[in-house]
Formats: sequence, C-alpha cells, structure tokens
Amino acid sequence: MEQIIKDFGIQPVFLAAQVVNFLVLLFLLKRFLYKPILKVLDERKKTISKSLQDAQEIEQRLQKTVEEQEKILIKAAKEAAGLIDSATKSADLIISEAHTKASLNMEEMMEKTRQSLSAEKEKLSQEVRAEVANLLTLGFEKITGKALSKQDQEELLQKSMKDING
Amino acid sequence: MESHIVLTPEILGYMGSLPVSNTLLVSWMVMGFLLIISVLATKNVQLVPTGLQNLVELVIEGIYNTVSELAQEKTKVIFPVVATFFLFILTANWLGLLPGFATITYKNLPLLRSINSDLNMTLSLALVSAVITHGLAIRYLGVIDYLKKWFSFNPIFLFVGLLELVSEFTKIVSLSFRLFGNIFAGEVVLSTVAGIFAFLIPLPFYFLEIIVGFVQAAVFMMLSLVFMVLLSEKHTNEH
Repeated sequence: MEQIIKDFGIQPVFLAAQVVNFLVLLFLLKRFLYKPILKVLDERKKTISKSLQDAQEIEQRLQKTVEEQEKILIKAAKEAAGLIDSATKSADLIISEAHTKASLNMEEMMEKTRQSLSAEKEKLSQEVRAEVANLLTLGFEKITGKALSKQDQEELLQKSMKDING
Repeated sequence: MESHIVLTPEILGYMGSLPVSNTLLVSWMVMGFLLIISVLATKNVQLVPTGLQNLVELVIEGIYNTVSELAQEKTKVIFPVVATFFLFILTANWLGLLPGFATITYKNLPLLRSINSDLNMTLSLALVSAVITHGLAIRYLGVIDYLKKWFSFNPIFLFVGLLELVSEFTKIVSLSFRLFGNIFAGEVVLSTVAGIFAFLIPLPFYFLEIIVGFVQAAVFMMLSLVFMVLLSEKHTNEH
C-alpha cells in the first residue's frame, strides 16, 4: 500500500489542494453559471407555457366569437327571410288590388266611352238627316221648280231615309 | 525528444510551503477557464439567448435533464456537484490535448501536464465524490437510518452491510483509477505515437482521446450521480 502511494506520488498536500480547488470551483460555478442559467431556463419555460396558455385562451375566445357571429348571421338571415316574405305578400296584395281597381276603372271608362260614342252617333245621324233633308229639298226644288210643301218634304224625307237605311 | 513516462507529478516550485506541481498549475488554469466562460456567458443573461449563452445553456440543460431524471426531488442539491465534476474533468481532459502540454519545459520539467494523469487529482475528486455521497445520505436519511445501511443485528444483514461498506472504499478506488488510467494511458499513447512519427499519425489518436476525455467525464459524473441517488434512497425492501 505504501509502495503504491509512493509510486503514484500521492501527497496529502496535493489531495487537499485539489479538494480545495474543486470546492472553490463548485462554489463559483454555482454562483456564476448554474444559478443564472437555470434561472433563465426556468423563466423561459414559464414564459413559453404562459404564451401557450394565452394562445389557447385566445383560440377559445375566437371560437366563441365565431360561434356567436354565426348565430347572429343565422338570426339575421331568418329575419331577412321573414321580411322578404311579408314584403312579397303585401306586394302581391297591392298588385292584386291595383289589378282589380284598374279593371273596374277600365270598365267604367269603356262604358262612358260607349255612351258618349252612341250619343255622338245619335247626334251625327240627326245632323246628317237634317243635312240630307236640306239637300233633298234643294234638289227637288231645282228639279221640279216648285218649292215643296212642308208635308211633301216630310214625306220625301221619310222615304229617302228608308232607302238609305235599308 | 525523450519520452518520459512518469507516474508522479513534477513539482515546479514552492508557493510558500505549498508545493506547486504541474498538474496543480493546470487545474488552476482549468478553473480560470471555466470561470471566464461562465462569467462571459452569464454577464448579460437574456431570455432569448445568443452566442455563448446558447452553448452554455445547451450543456447545462443537458446535464440538468440527465440529473433530474435520476435524482428527481434531490436534483437541486446533486446537480451542482455532478455538473462541476463533468465540466471540470471534461475541460481538463480536452485542455490536456492542446499543444504545449508535456512539451514546454521549465527547469527541465514539463510545465503543463494533463490533470487527470496524476492520481492525486483523480483521487481527490473521488474522495470529494464519496464524502458528498455519504453526506447527502446522512442528510436525507438521518444518522440512524444511514448507520442501519451498514450495521444490523441480523448477522446475515450485518455481513452484507459490512461487505457494502468495503465496496464504498472500492468505489473511491475505481472512480479514481478509472479516470487516471484512461487519461494517463492516453498521454502515454500520444507521446509514444508522436515519438514514432510526429506528423499526421497521431491525429486519429487525438480524435480517440477527445472521445475518451468526454466519455470519462461523463462516466465520472454518471457514477457519482448514481452513487449519490442510491445511497440517499430509503431502504424499502428491509425485512
């Protein structure tokens, strides 16, 4: 044993010196290396997990917002459909009302026109008759050379009119 | 260039009554290097990391996750110790591969020597590991439960406990000699190969040593971690 110790040059002074060296190094590295590095690693871990959590929360909130939006959209679409439906109905109503009103008006107008037309016709035929009578009288006077009596005139007129009509 | 295979560290001089060996000098350099890196990396810690902070975070987080998988609620206590083991040993191993180690001489002695090719250094690391392991066990179990691990009134369990006690010393020896053996052998291989032909041929061996340096640091860390976790665990299958 002693021989081994001597062969390898083991000296308590060196052992002690190295032990002291190691302990000093341990202390210094703990202070200057492990503590700050582990601290920053821990901090980073916390930051990352917090950001991940935040991201998840944001995602959830977004999901909720999207769902709400969808709900609102569906509701709006329903309302719009309802509005369009009622609008269509009332429009139909208005149109059909207008139709009936218009047809009534038209009938009335046609009736009026017909009446005025027949009146006109009556008037015209009377005028024509008078004119024709006049002309006939004048023609007879020219041909016969005598004025027709009132009675003859009437008689002739009647006869001519019959011919014209028939 | 004579290749010297010396097991003992060379003493360069005395600082007061403290002998300063080349390995001790290098271990101070390693400490200084680690300190500078950590101060630079954490001088201006930001939530969005850049540059050196990024690299350091990668390493620290990797070690932290490894430790927390095994240690769970004891991570906060165990992590700084085993992480320091890892960083110190890894830096020392890789720094020992730099040119200038074992070639620059001072008073005809190599000025720089890879730390872990000196048993003093690995043994002290193993001792620290063992002391902290047992300290943690006492802290988490209490003195009574801790002593119950080794001593029992049941003769069979007493025998087993005594064997386990012996194995605790074996752990120190295995931890220190594993690290020492690997790195020392690496140094010898490198100097031998460089003695044969100094150009290109040592290159693959340097790659090998880079891997060995990392693996040994990781092994030391993992073993310390496992010992600490196991020893500070409550004996549940007792009787």
